[in-house]
Amino acid sequence: MALKSSTPTGLQRFGMQIAPLLIVCALVFALPLLLNNDFLLNKAARYVVLGILTVSLALSWGYGGILNLGQAMSFGIGSYAMAMTLKLKTIPVHTGSSGLPDFMVWNNVERLPWFWIPFRSLSFALAAGMIVPALVAAALGWFMFRGRVTGVYVAIITLATMVVLNLVIIDQQSYTGGFNGITDLAQLEIFGIAFDAYGRATYYLVAGCLTLSLLIGFAFTRSKAGLIVQAIRDHEGRVRYFGYDVAAYQIFVFALSAAIAGLAGMLYTVVMEFASPTFLGVQLSLSVVVWCAVGGRQSLVGAFLGAVLVAGMQGALSESAAFLETWTLVMGALFVLVVLFLPKGLAGFAQGAWRWLAQRRQAERELPQSREQTEGNA
Amino acid sequence: MDQFIEQIITGLSIGSILLLVAMGLSIIYGSMGIINLAHGEFVMLGAYAAWMFQTWLGLSLLASLVPIFIVVAVFGWIIERYVLSLLNNRPLDTILATWGVGIMLQQAVRLMVGSELRYVQLPPAMSDSMDLLGISVSAYRVFLFFVALALFAMTWFLMNRTTVGMKLRAIMQDRSVSASFGINAKRIYALTFAYGAGLAGLAGALVSPLKSVSPDMGTGYVVDAFMVVVLGGVQSLVGTVASAFILGELSGGIAFLQNDTVAKAIVLLAIVVLIRFRPEGLFTTRVRG
Repeated sequence: MALKSSTPTGLQRFGMQIAPLLIVCALVFALPLLLNNDFLLNKAARYVVLGILTVSLALSWGYGGILNLGQAMSFGIGSYAMAMTLKLKTIPVHTGSSGLPDFMVWNNVERLPWFWIPFRSLSFALAAGMIVPALVAAALGWFMFRGRVTGVYVAIITLATMVVLNLVIIDQQSYTGGFNGITDLAQLEIFGIAFDAYGRATYYLVAGCLTLSLLIGFAFTRSKAGLIVQAIRDHEGRVRYFGYDVAAYQIFVFALSAAIAGLAGMLYTVVMEFASPTFLGVQLSLSVVVWCAVGGRQSLVGAFLGAVLVAGMQGALSESAAFLETWTLVMGALFVLVVLFLPKGLAGFAQGAWRWLAQRRQAERELPQSREQTEGNA
Repeated sequence: MDQFIEQIITGLSIGSILLLVAMGLSIIYGSMGIINLAHGEFVMLGAYAAWMFQTWLGLSLLASLVPIFIVVAVFGWIIERYVLSLLNNRPLDTILATWGVGIMLQQAVRLMVGSELRYVQLPPAMSDSMDLLGISVSAYRVFLFFVALALFAMTWFLMNRTTVGMKLRAIMQDRSVSASFGINAKRIYALTFAYGAGLAGLAGALVSPLKSVSPDMGTGYVVDAFMVVVLGGVQSLVGTVASAFILGELSGGIAFLQNDTVAKAIVLLAIVVLIRFRPEGLFTTRVRG
């Protein structure tokens, strides 16, 4: 009897796992009711987008064991896809003759380059923002995982790839806007709803995408493929001996994570109203790793909260100049401490505390029972 | 023909800088399995140390090389002792920890001496150019080439002909067995990390007259240095040398035909493709894990 009550049934466990996720999403949706300030709402939307990006990293790193130091690359590709299509939708005052983006006119480009042409269609751009990062990740993953490259090499190669793409974008100024990025964009409009960066519609769009990403991630981690991916993380060789195609699963989770990061990138362009090479910079990419580690890499909700907490704190503190510089120092120290002493982040800490409490309560409940039992036997 | 020789020499010069920066990284990764993302910051510390010795104490660059090596090595020793040695069985987490340390070092330097660019003077004896095969070459770059080779020779000697090196190689093969033979693995690891950090510091000091010194100068170096290690294969010092010069010639050549960015992109693509077919690097003989 005692044994049965201590192990929750499958349904109970499902409920316990999905409850935090639903609560967090509900809170995110409820936030505009409390915030009656467009500027703060825009800021909140920004942090939620960064949270989605961090969730995507938790999928590949926490569940797949693939430490992607270049996660911002997918984010940046998504962001540029959105910026390119919105740039082509600007009214002609902002563009040159024949609808060329302004920076191309300044750089003496006479015709729209071939890879810009499909971005005249919004639906193409929306699809490309997720599919292109996924394809890039799949190609990179094919080379790495088929070559059975281990974690450390993956980290370096993803980082280097991102750095190189960043350099290329800055270098090809006449086609990408270079260092300035792509600015002066039109508003995103889907089904007649205009998404103003400071409006509620944008915030709800971001919140909806967060919910969707968390649910997809949750479904994936509980699916058979998700379980195999976690098994690969824990012991790659053993899974291979069972006959699974290890590389295929790794490529899949890598691409899935890139697609979600691409979605986050598209949203970021809508919220920030521009795209810039810093969106695929080393700084952002490594910050995402910090947020993920602090929040808890093996928990999707934890990763999201980590991003919102740390990025939010950073945003609040860096407004005063005195803190801006020391903050980076504090973040570095916090990060080292978390890595050393809380490898599962705040989420792991919370889970541990919860389990400890539950066990204590259980022990208290069982103690009188077992006494009764022994008395009954006697 | 002259242009060709000039290209070769430019490549050798880039290669010797790559070798200087990558050597410490290669030793630390090859022997300890630690990916040291703070390596770029050690390079930066070395460059700043050179600048400080020059502006505050008036020491010339050559005179301050030994103190710089010692200062940066001490930094490395402290970091190994109090951060990395706590992460014995979590190699992937050492990336994160060293990166956190790197951020802190970078920011600490920025807070203490400011983020403006600093300049270190060339040693006066080497500020001229010299004649080499009919081409005028900066004397300092020739000097760098020979210093890089000398440091490599010294490192090879330490690894293969000294007791400390032998102990390190024993630990690399099997830590627990070597521990039972009375080798103090902790001490050897700390020494190795300190040595690698010291080399990075030297590299920073040596390249400081060629480029400007800034708190975030390390990031670029660390990515390039990792490419060298990935191409050359770990646990192979000779591989590191060969791949440093291959990459140097390659980037020099492509940069001459196209530009620096294209050179970087092509070199990276080549490495990614290579890794699919030779994941252990170009020059590594397989070692039983």
